[in-house]
Amino acid sequence: MVTLLMRGHRDRLFRPVLSLLKSSAFLSLAVLMPFLTMASEPSGVVDFRSDVFPILERHCFKCHGPEKQKSDVRLDTLSTDMTKDRRAAETWHDVQHALNLGEMPPDDEPELSSEERQILVAWIDREIKLAIAAGRNTSGEVVLRRLNRVEYRNTMSDLLGIAADYGANLPPDTPSEAGFKNNGAALSMSPLQLEYYLDAARKGLSHAIVTGPKPEQFTQVIAKSASDKVKGNYTNRLGRSGTFVGRLMEFPDEGEFEIKIKARAELVEGKGFPRMGVKFGYRADTQAPSRDVGVVDVSSEETQEFVFRGRMEQFPLQSRTQSKYPGQLIWVENRFDDGEKRPVSRQVETITVVKGKERKKKEIEWIEYPDVPKIVIESVEFQGPIFGSWPPEHHTRILIPSEKRDQGELIYGEEILTNFMSRAYRRPVEKNEVQAMLRFFAKVRPTVESLEEALRETLAMVLVSPEFLYLMEPESGEGKSPLSDFELASRLSYFLWSTMPDERLFAMAKNGDLGEPEKLAAEIDRMLESPRAWQFVEQFADQWLDLGAIDRVAVNPEYYPNWNDDLKPSMGGETRHFFAEVLQNDLSVLNFIDSDFTMLNEPLARHYGIENGPRGGSFERVTLNAASPRGGLLTQASVLLGNSTGEDSHPILRAVWLRERLLDDPPSDPPPNVPALDSEDPNFAKLSVRRQLEQHRKDPACNDCHRGIDPWGIAMEQFDAVGRWRDEIRRKAPKGKAMLSLPVESSTTLPGGYRLEGIEDLKSYLLEKRKDQFARALVAKLTSYALGRSMELGDEDAIDQMAEQFAAEGYRLRPLIHAIVQNELFQTK
Amino acid sequence: MSNRPWHLNRRTFLRGAGVSLALPFLDCMGGKKINAADAITSSVRPRRICGVYFPYGASLPGEDHELAHWRWLPRGEGRNFQFNESLKSLEPFRNDLTIFEGLSHPNGRKMGGHDTADIWLTGAEFKGGNFRNSISLDQVAAAHFGEETRYSSLTLSTDGGVGEPTRSSTLSFGRNGQPIPAHNRPRLVFDRLFGINADSMKQQRQELENSGSMLDLLLDHSKSVRKNLGNEDKAKFDEYLDSVRAIEARIDRSQRWLDIPKPEVDASALVLDADDNSPHEYIRTMYDLIFLAFQTDTTRAATYQIGNMNGATSVAGKFSELLGFPQNLHGLAHGWNKKGGAEALGKWDQYLAQQLTYFLDRLRTTPEGDGNLLDHTLVLYGSSNSNTHNNTRYPLLLAGGSRLGLKHGQFLKYSEDTPLSNLQFTMLNRLGVPTEKFVDSTGDLTEILA
Repeated sequence: MVTLLMRGHRDRLFRPVLSLLKSSAFLSLAVLMPFLTMASEPSGVVDFRSDVFPILERHCFKCHGPEKQKSDVRLDTLSTDMTKDRRAAETWHDVQHALNLGEMPPDDEPELSSEERQILVAWIDREIKLAIAAGRNTSGEVVLRRLNRVEYRNTMSDLLGIAADYGANLPPDTPSEAGFKNNGAALSMSPLQLEYYLDAARKGLSHAIVTGPKPEQFTQVIAKSASDKVKGNYTNRLGRSGTFVGRLMEFPDEGEFEIKIKARAELVEGKGFPRMGVKFGYRADTQAPSRDVGVVDVSSEETQEFVFRGRMEQFPLQSRTQSKYPGQLIWVENRFDDGEKRPVSRQVETITVVKGKERKKKEIEWIEYPDVPKIVIESVEFQGPIFGSWPPEHHTRILIPSEKRDQGELIYGEEILTNFMSRAYRRPVEKNEVQAMLRFFAKVRPTVESLEEALRETLAMVLVSPEFLYLMEPESGEGKSPLSDFELASRLSYFLWSTMPDERLFAMAKNGDLGEPEKLAAEIDRMLESPRAWQFVEQFADQWLDLGAIDRVAVNPEYYPNWNDDLKPSMGGETRHFFAEVLQNDLSVLNFIDSDFTMLNEPLARHYGIENGPRGGSFERVTLNAASPRGGLLTQASVLLGNSTGEDSHPILRAVWLRERLLDDPPSDPPPNVPALDSEDPNFAKLSVRRQLEQHRKDPACNDCHRGIDPWGIAMEQFDAVGRWRDEIRRKAPKGKAMLSLPVESSTTLPGGYRLEGIEDLKSYLLEKRKDQFARALVAKLTSYALGRSMELGDEDAIDQMAEQFAAEGYRLRPLIHAIVQNELFQTK
Repeated sequence: MSNRPWHLNRRTFLRGAGVSLALPFLDCMGGKKINAADAITSSVRPRRICGVYFPYGASLPGEDHELAHWRWLPRGEGRNFQFNESLKSLEPFRNDLTIFEGLSHPNGRKMGGHDTADIWLTGAEFKGGNFRNSISLDQVAAAHFGEETRYSSLTLSTDGGVGEPTRSSTLSFGRNGQPIPAHNRPRLVFDRLFGINADSMKQQRQELENSGSMLDLLLDHSKSVRKNLGNEDKAKFDEYLDSVRAIEARIDRSQRWLDIPKPEVDASALVLDADDNSPHEYIRTMYDLIFLAFQTDTTRAATYQIGNMNGATSVAGKFSELLGFPQNLHGLAHGWNKKGGAEALGKWDQYLAQQLTYFLDRLRTTPEGDGNLLDHTLVLYGSSNSNTHNNTRYPLLLAGGSRLGLKHGQFLKYSEDTPLSNLQFTMLNRLGVPTEKFVDSTGDLTEILA
């Protein structure tokens, strides 16, 4: 028996089922295959009795009916109510597998016609999905949701007022099937997780609450690069080679530091800006351990001052006893890269005559390239720890100035706790909640020397309490009820900022302003204009579009000799900035399908072969010329590389990505024991991917699904694995080093007979025929992200309404965000 | 605990060592210096278990295939067998291991092709809507002897965390089948196992005591929070309550361990910053960490999942490509029956076996009493697919434990009538874990009993 294939069908199974439910009459069953939403598929209404039963009768009952029950399977009496009868569902699932694999009917029996097969498989598929849906239904409730790693990091930073990543050690979060990392049902808690929370809380509070006198501050100005024992080109003028090394013999162990660099560029006409990379760490020989403090373009020949900040404890620090390579080191280097391979150095042989004997000596000579723009360092200044006052603001934010300070520690402690807890819990706290914490404070206080130490422990307890770690929305009666003002404020801020509400949002909740639609709308706008909205852009775009895929693909340098992994962050950057551009300028989301602009920096523009683009590392809007195939997500390297093999395109991955991420119509998972593409044929490698896939589809078991998948990816074949336009496909011959050159074949036919000639056609087709499906998909995905849960049956009407409004208002994201927040789904629990 | 008197003895010994409490210096890579376990008399030597898993099965062309020399399984049978290319590096360990053909978990045979990594060590019936797993082999052992070490177990994987059901990124599951998050950053693992806590003993004790009462209060408080939650949420919230209870227990244990300093281990030879972009260093460092944890008796149960079968999200998928193999792991596995595919996958198998050899070698060259660490360590190595995502006939080998009453140096073949749990049951028995049955086991795997 094969198990019900339920893995993660949570999200992905819903969509097709639901859209069908609406269009078919009650109890009538529509044929459903993943590609059936497409135009000319047989989409008549299928009934078990009249349509499915006769097929079973013709082909199956002989061996699986009243007479014989081969393999213990009897189908004529098997329940068709899979929702109620799990065992029946599993047997039906086995049947589906047998059909998919072509195992049934056996070879010596008449074959199913293609139509019969489709009807059977589709009916089973649909019923199973309904059964799963019923099992997964959480009746529209937001499942208790803990903060994910990013939300935890941001919340800790905001709460403590310290820009450090306290979530760095937490185990990775489990995403939902749709890829969202803020799904309450998927996010779990474990002892290890909680242990790290406690650890992070103690660490954070030991930074936030200070004791003792103002610590010694170290300042050092370095005008000239130090040299090192290790061979290297240590200099103030940084070209292709050259590193500026600043050595600090005295430095703090913790606290915030600042590195100020005065530098100017020597620019080269027609070349990009030099990029200054600053690293902080130790061990001159390997430059590891070290971490980047920052990277910045140096775009002016006038001297500029660049300021970088960080916290000492987030960097590898020299242990004071280590002596071989003493000191904490600041490295400054020029990361200019225009794709040209230029050796850093060459060996020069010098001959000297010593005591009449010739001596050969090999020396390294650093090569200077006039066409590489330089950075000239004038000075590097280190200062740390830095704080505006003593005690610092993050301290007085917790140990607030108050007249109660002199009225005894318990009285002052109560005030501190009330203040801190209401920010940590994101709502006003009850007196008894404070009292419980105060009891712990009283217990700890005699065991430690100072009030501050006792407070650190007590507040650590606050930070491992469920009210802090989870977005708590306790029940307030039967059925759905409106959120409290504070709950609404939290939902809003975690949706748009991935962090806790700020003071203003708290104040609005307190005054009841969020209940007034106009004030709420103004608040949403303020939030979207805040720099914190970048969190939304980054989190949503990454999770919706699976930008993490970029890092899961290793690019094969044999295929792409000029490839540089540093390009990967730029690829993700393009997509994020593109999303931000659409959001901030209130543009239509149809730009995601096709656009006349994109967001590029110098490395990526060069990668795309776009001339006269940006000169620096930051992203700028670039208008694409009319002939460019670029524009829209499908032509962005992030998507193309993420769904490739690192050697070649992967049309199936690209197709699945498109259907899953853009159309919310994921194809079913492949059945178990999928046969590999048969490539015993020595000529297989010489076939284009399109032809290979055609061969693959000759197998009816594969064809049923793949004819609805492959064409989408074939249409993107004009882009290679790393997202560049190509005129030929290069592939390694099975034996030997030579690269085969194959033609790019990107013309294809979608089920339904719609013919596509490559990417431009694909985009026009999506815009013409799939616009509303795409828009609805985005509405559902964004709503799912906003609520932190998967969409369910009961949400369908709301999604439909919002999708209609979304279309009517020109497919703009901002009004959609407003609509989601104002919707009952968001406003109730 | 009372039936293990040596437990106390050992404590006494360590205390008795007085001022120089620190265990002898352990050189990481050398492994030749004095080792802590010498302190323990040979009759009560610690027994250890380690499970190492690789995804997607192995190259298994037929015995007549032109690439049969890339067959993971050896040629021959019984004591008379010859390694093929894939496992050749294990030749020096011939008499310290047994290779199995034909074993699998009956429950796994009913599951999807990519779904079985979760049950490799549990054998659970893992299907239906709930996906409730059951306790894993290492955790059964840890529940028995875990109290005797600082950490009851060590769970590692390349992807870290727990992943999602059927694509779990951990091999270990607790008493109720809840997944145990795996560590995936060598530096964090090292710090946890051997990191020196700069705080004074008094401070540490204080912190632990505080934690104890903090968690007590938290538990009370959380129970009242739970009352106000809806039913859906209650179930979710129980994860939190269980976690609080589990840490309470761990803190209890840490208090008991406070007087015993962590072993001093020199990290300079370890590549603790290795990550998924440097697979060779990464896999070796993970093995190093398990080795060190065993050598210092910091734990006695460890698992390492080299990769899971989530082709779409596993960061380990690219390991093979980064190491110069022609495809990613999933691609190699899918291609095993293509032209030349058996060799391509076989070379990856060979690479992985070489890493295992490295690990076994470290164990065997480290003396313990009059033997070595491997003598009392059981290492189960393998996958939960044979090939092409087929959930039967797992490639498996068991190494170590020659002083635990095991008979090695064999290549054993079984039919589907023998469940894999029989081997796992025997492992538990040999480890001295009192067991009547493990999942669906029907008895000992007598062929490996000495």
